Amino acid sequence: MATGSGALASPSLRLGSIGRARRRPLILAAAGAIALVVALVLGVGLGTVAISPLDTLAILAHRLVGLDLGRTWTPAMETIVWDLRLPRVLTSMVVGVGLAVSGATFQGLLRNPLADPYVLGTASGAALGAAIAVVIPIRATFLGFGLIHALAFVGALAAVFTVYRLSRIGGLSPLTSLLLTGYAVGSLLAAGLAMAMYLSGAALRQIFSYLLGGFDTAAWSQLGAAATLVAAGSVLILLRARTLNGLLLGEEAAVHLGVNVGRERAILLALASLVTAAAVAVSGLIGFVGLVVPHVVRLIVGPNARVVLPLAALGGAALLAFADLAARLLGEIPVGVVTAVIGAPFFLFLLRRSRSGYEL
Amino acid sequence: MTATPSPSPSAVPAFPTTLTDDEGTAVKLTAEPHKIVSLTPSATETLFALGVGDRVVGKVEDLSVYPPAAAAIPDVAKFGSVDVEKIVGLGTDLVIAGGNSFNPPDKIAQLRTLGVPVVVLYAPDIPTVFSDIELIGTAVGKAAEAKDLTTSMKAGFDQIQAATTALPKPRVFYELDASQKIYTAADNSFLAAMIVLAGGSPITTGSTTNFEIPLETLITKDPEIILLGDAAYGTTADIVAARPGWKVMTAVKAKAIKPVDDVIITRPGPRLVEGLRALAAAIHPDANVPSAAPEASSGAATAGPAMSPSAAP
Repeated sequence: MATGSGALASPSLRLGSIGRARRRPLILAAAGAIALVVALVLGVGLGTVAISPLDTLAILAHRLVGLDLGRTWTPAMETIVWDLRLPRVLTSMVVGVGLAVSGATFQGLLRNPLADPYVLGTASGAALGAAIAVVIPIRATFLGFGLIHALAFVGALAAVFTVYRLSRIGGLSPLTSLLLTGYAVGSLLAAGLAMAMYLSGAALRQIFSYLLGGFDTAAWSQLGAAATLVAAGSVLILLRARTLNGLLLGEEAAVHLGVNVGRERAILLALASLVTAAAVAVSGLIGFVGLVVPHVVRLIVGPNARVVLPLAALGGAALLAFADLAARLLGEIPVGVVTAVIGAPFFLFLLRRSRSGYEL
Repeated sequence: MTATPSPSPSAVPAFPTTLTDDEGTAVKLTAEPHKIVSLTPSATETLFALGVGDRVVGKVEDLSVYPPAAAAIPDVAKFGSVDVEKIVGLGTDLVIAGGNSFNPPDKIAQLRTLGVPVVVLYAPDIPTVFSDIELIGTAVGKAAEAKDLTTSMKAGFDQIQAATTALPKPRVFYELDASQKIYTAADNSFLAAMIVLAGGSPITTGSTTNFEIPLETLITKDPEIILLGDAAYGTTADIVAARPGWKVMTAVKAKAIKPVDDVIITRPGPRLVEGLRALAAAIHPDANVPSAAPEASSGAATAGPAMSPSAAP
């Protein structure tokens, strides 16, 4: 997995030796895995209701493997651990994976350090879809999915599709055209969102809470659907990591490497958008993770997409799981606030340490 | 609504029962609820007035909490958020929530998914206030007490309305908030209906959904009385009179600007009679609005003991 990473990473990172550089991804992966386990344990163990760790363990053992640890608990405790906390922690991890992987993909594809999962109108599309779902008086749910999830998902994909089609008209270079079209379409959708919010009356708070994002209504059914889409999309993106590396070198270089640039770009855009849409449909709009986690990983291990993508997935999952835990324990404050407060200083620290040579 | 109230509540086999809440959802209650969570201030007041305040295990945060005994109940929700984990952890067997997005609909759906029965109430008009109190009564096994309460409330309403009906109807502007834009009663709103019953002619926004009124419209409609529902937030008659453009209004010239207790006037609970009485007294200070005394004695049978939990059975 790490083959070639040292060669690509070392010039830009002033590393001591190739050997150390080769070990870095492994160390980061181990740290990420430990962080994930800790986040899972804390996330399931802590909450506004105190449940002893032994009871929590007994409930999990009972539900997961049918093991009886000789303890008794109330149905309320079982519901809290199994139907509230566990799906919530896992949803935050799945969304973290989705946002970090799609963020890394968009940054590579667009060769723009400011790109994030929302850059091509996904966020505005999803938000407008969610706002429309709130404003129209239909309260249908299907398999645990409300209209708000469905329209956010559709809105995100429709926005990216529109941006992609419009960007192919005209004579600008494809990347510039994509970014500017994304900005224009996003602005138009934002106007629609503002109008929907103005008309929403008492439902305004619902739209607002979608815009802030969060995992407070996570449930198994939604988790299942989001996890399937995020996992499938992320694996398919990872299988195209070589293409992504080629595109990172520039269009001409990619062509020389035998990459069918137009086709591959469209496929990667579609996959990253699908992953983003699945994430925002269940969580609302959570900023910062998709922008910063890929940068942090690249600053540490270099730009090779084969290494960056899985490590970004780990990092995104761990960051969002911890951020959501903090948000929950601080009285359900918006999780996006926590990701920024935790992540921004760390990111600045890393940027200061590696002043020279960091480029996408 | 589905259960028939009987004169002796202890003998009523009212459960299991299925009720229909204000959003049309059928809510099944297998047994009489004993761990109730109230997610609206008016439901908290109603539960106490029905004598089941001691069964309320959690409530929404309420800055004007009433009755005082309710202050001791732990908060499980605040404006815009609901702590589902806490509600489940309390072993809650009934949640009474507010509709029209008062409580987040996704949280209500989540509670129902977890098997907690939720009755959603929303009273856009005064008759629904009464039917909501009766619905709460049915849900907690106090249908007869609820019927008594609403009967006495309706009598109070009729009395006040009878006293004001022949009086002139001054144009009343009820200020909900004017710190940024000016907010007042919408057409056909609950608040507009209260002002009509209190013997006033409400100045409304001209729309049933918009609560904002432009200053130009307000000046054109020329209020004769200004009632400050935002008095609790520091608005005074002097502040109103000093606002640019307001001094042309009849009410400002006549110094007919009065603070009112917005909580009892707009909270759709058992104290609404007091609210209407306060409103009528503010609009018709010289008229003989029926005092609280006769109504209070008739209502004491139901409302009295509920105010002190020690007296509740």
